[in-house]
Amino acid sequence: MDLQSGEYQLLAGSVVLGLLVLFYGGTFVMTLFIGKKKENADGYMTAGNKIGFGVSAASMTATWIWAASMYASATSGYTYGISGPIHYGLWGALMILFIYPFGRRIRAVAPKAHTLAEVMYARHGRSSQLMLAGSNILGSVISLTSNFIAGGALIALLSPFSFRQGIIAVAAGILLYTLWSGFRASVLTDFAQVVAMLGAVVIIIPVVFFAAGGPGLFESGASNLTVQQANFFSSEAFLNQGAPYIAAVLAYAIGNQTIAQRLFAVREDLIKPTFITATIGYGATVIGFGMLGVIALYAGITPMDGDTNNLIPQLAVTYLGPVLLCVFFIMILGSLSSTADSDLAALSSIAMTDLYGQTVGKKNVKPKTMLLVGRITMILATAAGLFFASGQMNILDLLVFVGALWGALVFPVIASFYWKKVTNKAFTISTLAALALFVPVRFEWISMSGFTGYAVDVLGIVGVGVVLGLMTFGFFGLKVARIVGVVAIAVAAPFAMGALHEYAVLSGSLVAYSVSTIICYAMSVRSKQNFDFSTIKDHVGDFDPIETIKRDTDPVANRK
Amino acid sequence: MEIFWLTVYVLIWPVVVAGTLFVITRAFFREWKQARAEGRSLV
Repeated sequence: MDLQSGEYQLLAGSVVLGLLVLFYGGTFVMTLFIGKKKENADGYMTAGNKIGFGVSAASMTATWIWAASMYASATSGYTYGISGPIHYGLWGALMILFIYPFGRRIRAVAPKAHTLAEVMYARHGRSSQLMLAGSNILGSVISLTSNFIAGGALIALLSPFSFRQGIIAVAAGILLYTLWSGFRASVLTDFAQVVAMLGAVVIIIPVVFFAAGGPGLFESGASNLTVQQANFFSSEAFLNQGAPYIAAVLAYAIGNQTIAQRLFAVREDLIKPTFITATIGYGATVIGFGMLGVIALYAGITPMDGDTNNLIPQLAVTYLGPVLLCVFFIMILGSLSSTADSDLAALSSIAMTDLYGQTVGKKNVKPKTMLLVGRITMILATAAGLFFASGQMNILDLLVFVGALWGALVFPVIASFYWKKVTNKAFTISTLAALALFVPVRFEWISMSGFTGYAVDVLGIVGVGVVLGLMTFGFFGLKVARIVGVVAIAVAAPFAMGALHEYAVLSGSLVAYSVSTIICYAMSVRSKQNFDFSTIKDHVGDFDPIETIKRDTDPVANRK
Repeated sequence: MEIFWLTVYVLIWPVVVAGTLFVITRAFFREWKQARAEGRSLV
């Protein structure tokens, strides 16, 4: 089997067709058991805010694991050696954990909300809502495109079908089972997808490890590693992979509507176990897949076409037999479909709530029209994803940009849920200013020599304090957060001053955090606003009159 | 010794994944059973 010349094991066209029909047909049949022939708008977005632990933990895990995270973790293992997967998967997992305390607060002030942007509208007004909704839309379309590309590439690599045929099959399959029941379909099918994904991980990683040589590989392949790659405490891995990812931890969790949607859907008392289980499930799965990159490094495998995204499929076709190759195919299909259906559900919720619902006003909403808006949005989003995917656009740069936009939003969003003084003006200006400074730093449009470099270093160091302070604040409150923030700045300063600006990805993200924090704080601290958080719940949620009537006539609910 | 720990490091993740899968699956079927008993949809 020669991978470089393209002579490797393929799945027959009929087998791939059979697997696609089995997978998407099976998930579609599963959605028929939802039993809601007449779907309602609130259920379509949050499934009535009372999902149990099993479904929500499966859904959170499946949604967070996407094909790109598996490929990227393996790339990290291959590039940075044995610590690489930790610097990808661990921080990604903590992303879920760190959002948990904020999630509880958000749920407490807006128990029936559908989107985070909707809550921002109730807290601040239109501009804050649109900034958050806009970044959510951009992020979900990019994620959708990325998953279509991953599906098309997988089908093109493992079968006689073309990339274009692959993306159409994947897009049609996902739309088929998501369109009618929306979020309900997304969370229910996530369970089957998580079983497929996690089950495959349990089997595939040990099989590949032992097929590649087992423990003896660490002896025979040791010479393939550099000193840094062989070091578990590699500074190179931390500075290039881990640190930028830590900076992105809160940004992705705050800015991602798929996570917010699950936060609003799970029963309130189950938020904690759900987030903890998803943290462990995501972390172990993604780090485990990163081990395939480490195995490839020890085995001296060169990525096909120099593209490290090919590493996992390469290992699969090299070391797995036909049956396990089918399991691998279903696993990747499960990972990309679970995230893509969540993106569709997220996009439809934003369109239903933030574009339609808030435009016509809560009292004038027609639930049937709202549902129609949601379903049309899903079709349009799928078409957009297909359009971008067919051009195989480089979406990673766009993803970095959206990540920064979310980074700029983190402090203003979090502060808006705790601090009565934050104004709409402070929210909007601080976010835009942070973004304006992020772009030239991240894309190295300006020279970093002299004063500019030092200024970026100072802002970056403040950003370190902001990130660690916010993480601490969620769990331990303001006093401890302030101490951690100041200590972090003091510890980082001697190392980072004069050097941080050389790491464009890291310093760009940190600048986004610090600038938005400084400006939002400066503009809010003297503000006379004294916002009453108890008013938020009156402005969000419950678009369906049927549910309202039920509650009004429910003596138990009325007593509460 | 180093080879032993590297082997553990690679193989520990599928074990953790298996544990998580067990927890999620058990909870899912409990909820499914309860929903059926109460005559309502799981989601």
